[in-house]
Amino acid sequence: MRFIFTTSAIWLLGLVSAFAEEGGHDHLPPHAEDILRVGPFVLTNSMLMIWIVAAAIIFVAQMATKKLELIPSGLQNFVEWMTESLYDFLEGILGPHLVKRTFWFFGSIFILILFTNWFGLIPGVGTVGWERHGDLHDSFRPFLRGGNADLNMTAAMAFTFALLWFYWAITENGLKGFFMHIFAPKGKFSGGMAIVMLIVFGFVGLLEVVSILFRPVALSFRLYGNVFAGENILENMPKVVGEHTWLAWLPPVPFYFLELLVGLIQALVFTLLTSVFLKLICDHGDEHHEEDGHSH
Amino acid sequence: MISMFDILAQVSHAPEASDSGVVSGITQTFHVEWVPFISQVVSFLVVAYLLKKFAFTPIQDMLEQRRSRIIEGEEKLKVIEKQLAESEASTAAAIAKANDEALRLITEAKESAAIFSEQKSQEAIASAQQILAKAEAAAQAERAAIKAELKNEFGRLVAATTSQVTGKVLTAEDQSRINEDALAKVEG
Repeated sequence: MRFIFTTSAIWLLGLVSAFAEEGGHDHLPPHAEDILRVGPFVLTNSMLMIWIVAAAIIFVAQMATKKLELIPSGLQNFVEWMTESLYDFLEGILGPHLVKRTFWFFGSIFILILFTNWFGLIPGVGTVGWERHGDLHDSFRPFLRGGNADLNMTAAMAFTFALLWFYWAITENGLKGFFMHIFAPKGKFSGGMAIVMLIVFGFVGLLEVVSILFRPVALSFRLYGNVFAGENILENMPKVVGEHTWLAWLPPVPFYFLELLVGLIQALVFTLLTSVFLKLICDHGDEHHEEDGHSH
Repeated sequence: MISMFDILAQVSHAPEASDSGVVSGITQTFHVEWVPFISQVVSFLVVAYLLKKFAFTPIQDMLEQRRSRIIEGEEKLKVIEKQLAESEASTAAAIAKANDEALRLITEAKESAAIFSEQKSQEAIASAQQILAKAEAAAQAERAAIKAELKNEFGRLVAATTSQVTGKVLTAEDQSRINEDALAKVEG
């Protein structure tokens, strides 16, 4: 019964999406569009989407923690399971010390990306909006847009992580330890070999610096590219059978399933990569802490 | 028709220009500009803060509370198990002590009962011997009295018989001599 309901809902999504297409863009723009300007700040349709998703997550979390029970059930059980699973997953990568410090960030990143991706699949996102007057190439402006189909959003998350990465890396290793971690030779060498290794690891360190600098760019474009490509597929699939035919709803349907999967995978990839980047630079930091802990 | 093609077309023109042209081509295509970027950073930080405060913190607190309750429960269980073991040990010790005490009391009671019984038996024997001696003494006294009485009566009868047979008035000396002869013949 549940399977029939779910399948029907997905087919309905395709149908609604296909019919909504008529009133939407003539093509999906690669950038988010402004819907409000407040002083120097702009409110784009992707930003509005992020706020709606965040509000929904907060609402669910508040509902789940409203009446706490010793033996959880229903929503409380689901929310606890999700948070605990995510915490354990990140603890496996980062270790118990780092995960305590950084869970707020990685947890937020994963939950936000996941639900933003999935919310972007709801019919009406990108197709409900208003017509602007004037001689414009594309006069339609949607109220909502997939949150991660905006390079500014993915870049904001990636560059925020980059700054936090520096902060966490330096506070965990110390400034000297941070640079040693990047440039110092790994292992014990003596004599001429030490000089060779110093040069080799110095060069490797430079490559590492380039890699570090490019990480936020790669993170931004990877997430944006996957989500934007998915939205394009969903938007263009009805055109395979002709936009105005009665079967136009059919081609996007399999891709809704695909996008559900892509939404989860991309959230995982972003979270996994960022947490691994942090673990790599803080690896020695954790050992020092453990040693300190033992010595005390 | 498809926007991705438009994007690729726009980006593919870029290599003809300089590096800065490539960057500006990308930023123009994707509208990566300072104002929307900063707005998104601020928006993301606010969202992350709100998620931390209103979503993760209460859930983590709840999980931590449960974890500490479980630890507390396990510790209590250990204490209860320890107390139970101690209680069982002290109960066993008390029972053993009570058993020893009971055995001691029984032994003492048996000993005192035996002593008492012996004492009472001795007392009863002594009392019985005393009664027997008294009875023997009384019997001897009575026999002696009866014997004396019989002697007197016998003497009187002998004297009376002798007096009547002889028709003579007997003197006290005669009577005494006749009585002694008669008694000597009877006892002899």
